[in-house]
Amino acid sequence: MSAMDAPEGRAGCGEDTAAYALGALSEQEASSFEEHLRTCARCREELAALQPVVDALPSAVPQRTAPAELRGRVLATVRSEAELRGGRERPELGAPPGRARSWRPWRLAWAGLAVAAVSAAIALAIAGNEPTHTRVISAHAGIPGTRAVLRVTGNRGQLRIAGMPQAPRGHVYELWIERDGAAQPTDALFTVSSTGRASVGVPGSLKGASAVMVTAEPLGGSAQPTGAPVIVARVG
Amino acid sequence: MFNPLRSSGGERSAAHLRVLADEELMQLVYRGNAAAFEVVYDRHADAAYSLAMRMCGQRSLAEDVVQESFLSLWRSGARYDRNRGSVRTWTLGIVHNRAIDALRRRAVRDRGVVTDEGIEERVPARERTELEFARRDEAREIREALERLPREQSHVIALAYFGGLTHSEIAEKLGTPIGTVKGRMRLGLEKMRAALGEPGEVMG
Repeated sequence: MSAMDAPEGRAGCGEDTAAYALGALSEQEASSFEEHLRTCARCREELAALQPVVDALPSAVPQRTAPAELRGRVLATVRSEAELRGGRERPELGAPPGRARSWRPWRLAWAGLAVAAVSAAIALAIAGNEPTHTRVISAHAGIPGTRAVLRVTGNRGQLRIAGMPQAPRGHVYELWIERDGAAQPTDALFTVSSTGRASVGVPGSLKGASAVMVTAEPLGGSAQPTGAPVIVARVG
Repeated sequence: MFNPLRSSGGERSAAHLRVLADEELMQLVYRGNAAAFEVVYDRHADAAYSLAMRMCGQRSLAEDVVQESFLSLWRSGARYDRNRGSVRTWTLGIVHNRAIDALRRRAVRDRGVVTDEGIEERVPARERTELEFARRDEAREIREALERLPREQSHVIALAYFGGLTHSEIAEKLGTPIGTVKGRMRLGLEKMRAALGEPGEVMG
């Protein structure tokens, strides 16, 4: 997003756009195409034109009725997880939602664990056993107008952000923990509210961490940062 | 008994939830409202199942894909970004990715095979709304645009999108150079775009 737009694309530019939109590139080809997209306005425009066609393809298939048993299974799981949350809804955007925002869909076991973690944190806080000392660390934000602080209590961190623009189209923000100079991915993928606010619990412990960082990543997150961090909070 | 409708502080009835827009419902889903999730499920489950069946060709696999997709939507509602498109597009995008993951665990030769097992074209009864009619119109247009393409173009699009094959797998399967496969994908999508009244224009 910050890269300069190349006035003209590379030779053969545009060949991969349709294949990319259809999901027909290998992972490696897809990531080099995404790299190319950053600097090629022509391919971005073409993708923006073709993506809606691809997004509409599902409606071309024969329509069927989803089986009732499937509905029963899905809703039973959802209701039991809602009850596991103890009848508490997750807080409004802007209030500290703890780990609730950080679930990646494919980590199925997370639901119960996250509820347990949030409940444990609440229980500890009530019992007075939670270390009460909270450090507030100002984070460095690479985007003008964006402010962020990391609140650290014991080994747990909560990143609060204000004035941050939405991630570029097709991207989400991802939280990373830096240890021994390497960025480790976390489960925390997030978007900011319409007013540019977010409050993100740092998954896991901050033990041994030197920094907490945020980058914009393609939907679904990445295992390695694909761009420079937009927020860096030094912990050490 | 726990009533998710009341715990938000508002006295929301199920009927009230059903008049909300998808985007508003997703805010409630994000906050853990199971009743709001149920409305989202009912609006999009048939489309999700139809896509999964078209891609997987097998009921048990399609059901798994739809189940995983909706549970992921429930558990990660915060990831919905309205800038990226409608809740339906987003949901079907999750289903598409999950189905591709499931397909890519299978042998290439079994992919892209369309079965017509148990197809029932039907008129959805749940929401006979203007939106539903508009959707059916759109579906007809898309289907016609796809059918009007030269066979070699619609074939590579179907193998890629519904079959989960990469361009090199398609090239191998058809005994066609990769460049030709990519060219057909591009020509096909561009023709569809033109036929659909340039939906790309609004994006740009």
